[in-house]
Amino acid sequence: MSTDTETRGTLGRLRASPFLADLLTNRLAVVGLTIILSMAAVAIYARVTYDLGALASSQLGTEIVDRAPPGWFGPTPANQQLFGTDTAARDIYKRTLYGAWLALKFGTITVGTSTTVGVGLGIIAAYYGDVTDNVIMRTMDVLLAFPPLLLALALVAIFPRELGLWRAVVALVLVYTPRFARVVRGAALKVLEDEYVDATVALGATDPRVLVRHILPNTLAPITVQSTLNFGLAIIDLAALSFLGFGAQAGSPSWGLMLSRGVENGLLTGEWWLYFFPGLFLAITVLGFNLLGDGMRDALDPRMRDAID
Amino acid sequence: MNWTQSLFRLVEPVVPPRFVIKRLLLLIPVLFGVASVVFAILHLAPGDPAIVIAGQRASAEQLEQIRVELGLRRPLWEQYLSFLWDAARFDFGQSYSISRGNSVRSVISDRVPITLELAIYGQAAGILLGLPLGIISAVKQDSLTDHVTRIGALTGISVPIFWSGPLLILLFSTYLDVFPTSGRIKSTLFLPETWTLFGRELPLTGMITLDTILLGNTEAFLSAAHHLFLPAVVIGVYSTALISRMMRSSMLEVIRQDYIRTARAKGQGAKITLMKHGFRNALIPVVTVIGIQFGTLLSGAVLTETVFGINGMGLTIVTAIGVSDYPVVQGTVLTFALLFTLVNVFVDVTYSYLDPRIQQ
Repeated sequence: MSTDTETRGTLGRLRASPFLADLLTNRLAVVGLTIILSMAAVAIYARVTYDLGALASSQLGTEIVDRAPPGWFGPTPANQQLFGTDTAARDIYKRTLYGAWLALKFGTITVGTSTTVGVGLGIIAAYYGDVTDNVIMRTMDVLLAFPPLLLALALVAIFPRELGLWRAVVALVLVYTPRFARVVRGAALKVLEDEYVDATVALGATDPRVLVRHILPNTLAPITVQSTLNFGLAIIDLAALSFLGFGAQAGSPSWGLMLSRGVENGLLTGEWWLYFFPGLFLAITVLGFNLLGDGMRDALDPRMRDAID
Repeated sequence: MNWTQSLFRLVEPVVPPRFVIKRLLLLIPVLFGVASVVFAILHLAPGDPAIVIAGQRASAEQLEQIRVELGLRRPLWEQYLSFLWDAARFDFGQSYSISRGNSVRSVISDRVPITLELAIYGQAAGILLGLPLGIISAVKQDSLTDHVTRIGALTGISVPIFWSGPLLILLFSTYLDVFPTSGRIKSTLFLPETWTLFGRELPLTGMITLDTILLGNTEAFLSAAHHLFLPAVVIGVYSTALISRMMRSSMLEVIRQDYIRTARAKGQGAKITLMKHGFRNALIPVVTVIGIQFGTLLSGAVLTETVFGINGMGLTIVTAIGVSDYPVVQGTVLTFALLFTLVNVFVDVTYSYLDPRIQQ
């Protein structure tokens, strides 16, 4: 890489800096971060500007044409909708933008909860060892023995339909938590080998204090990478569950549901705009998280840093 | 080394059987846990199986009779134990609704080959394309080829199957009309149930491209391949993207090792070093990823089957959950978990072959 080695050396004295420096010199990571921030801006704009109730209810019977192609497309660009209208004459543009809010909101809740629970379980398993470790990690092994989407599908069946996307969130939290627990346990076991932990215990620190003040901060790096990469997965999986009919409730402007309805109605008739735009936004958002996650991993991996220098 | 010794080396197992057996025994507690989770999930699920079977208009006595027949009036621990016993024998009773009256076992044995076929083609494409792409990308790090491969792979894992699938159908089926939109074979073609080998009748495998080859029916084979092409491409692209990413980063790490420098220093050619020392060592972590990724691939099969209307395990489980056909859900979920864990045992064994230190 083109970074000046001397600058690197000065920065190296600050513990957090080489990571940020590497991250910001990684062009792909910066692109990823830009995508995520733009999508977040879109999400907030849509949340503030549009009314969810109006986006969800059918506009049939009004003067708006249903299944109208995007305004710039087709022989007679008569209507004004940028992305066209769907089978209930709803504006696909507004719905797609609002979908960004739903994806980021439910994605954040899913990843946030599974990270918190996974980190807790992983640290506890590593610190207490023995029976605690075995009980926690064997349970995680069982959950990891299922192909991810299949476990989520089976879990979604437990919850009543009225919960909508929330049941997909709960199911996915159970699917992702074991991955975090495993990564964190590994990282925590490494930290526990360090002598300063023994020293802290010898000085009379209580268990919660050791766990929160000394072990947790040292496992943050792998957790952050795992969370970022899982964010992309969570957004795809939430959409997939909605697509299969086990997520968002009818009418909701969630990308997965819009795709499912769009494919159902527009695939054989060639009305591509019914499913093209929600899928495009979904793919771009996920790409953003994957780009950032990749960049973070490279920046965190000291072997890679040596290799680059 | 005389010829008897070299012959012995040929038949000597590459991985000690004890390692394989130990690995298989470790599966038992995991599968026990998996079966318990499935039991718990379906007992927590809302909805009354009796109503699913008899319909809303059944009388209270009829419903009660069905509940007794299904064993739902027995104590929970008894139901649990009998479920475990049934699961161990792979007996999940009869389907409530999607294939009414047929045993879940027959539903599964009909549909597993369909999904496996799809997954195998996808995985094969991923390995055949992903490994070389990853190696080229690593060897020519930071070249244009590397950048294109990396960004291509990142896009490949970011684009959801349930979007790329419909777009491919739109382009190749609706507009260009070169591939069919759904199904497994032309509807005018019928395949027999058995094939003949040296005068003996044998059952077919259920994997349609293999079956048509066994039957020697070229027209049917071409039609089956024609139908399978788009779904396999969708899964294959995803799998290629994952494998090439992993191969690249693993190869990058390996080619900086001292033993590579040593091999080059003693005068070995760059290509031979790369393949003999680099590739084999870089493959070790990739093999693990291929195993873990098989789970993602099975998840992908669920979505692909839904998009392309292929009636395999994936579409079956989605339909069964939708109509609360619990025995089918139990059976299919357990089968998926079993397939996934077995693939991972296979991966561990391969791993220990590539890196014999693991066996200790």
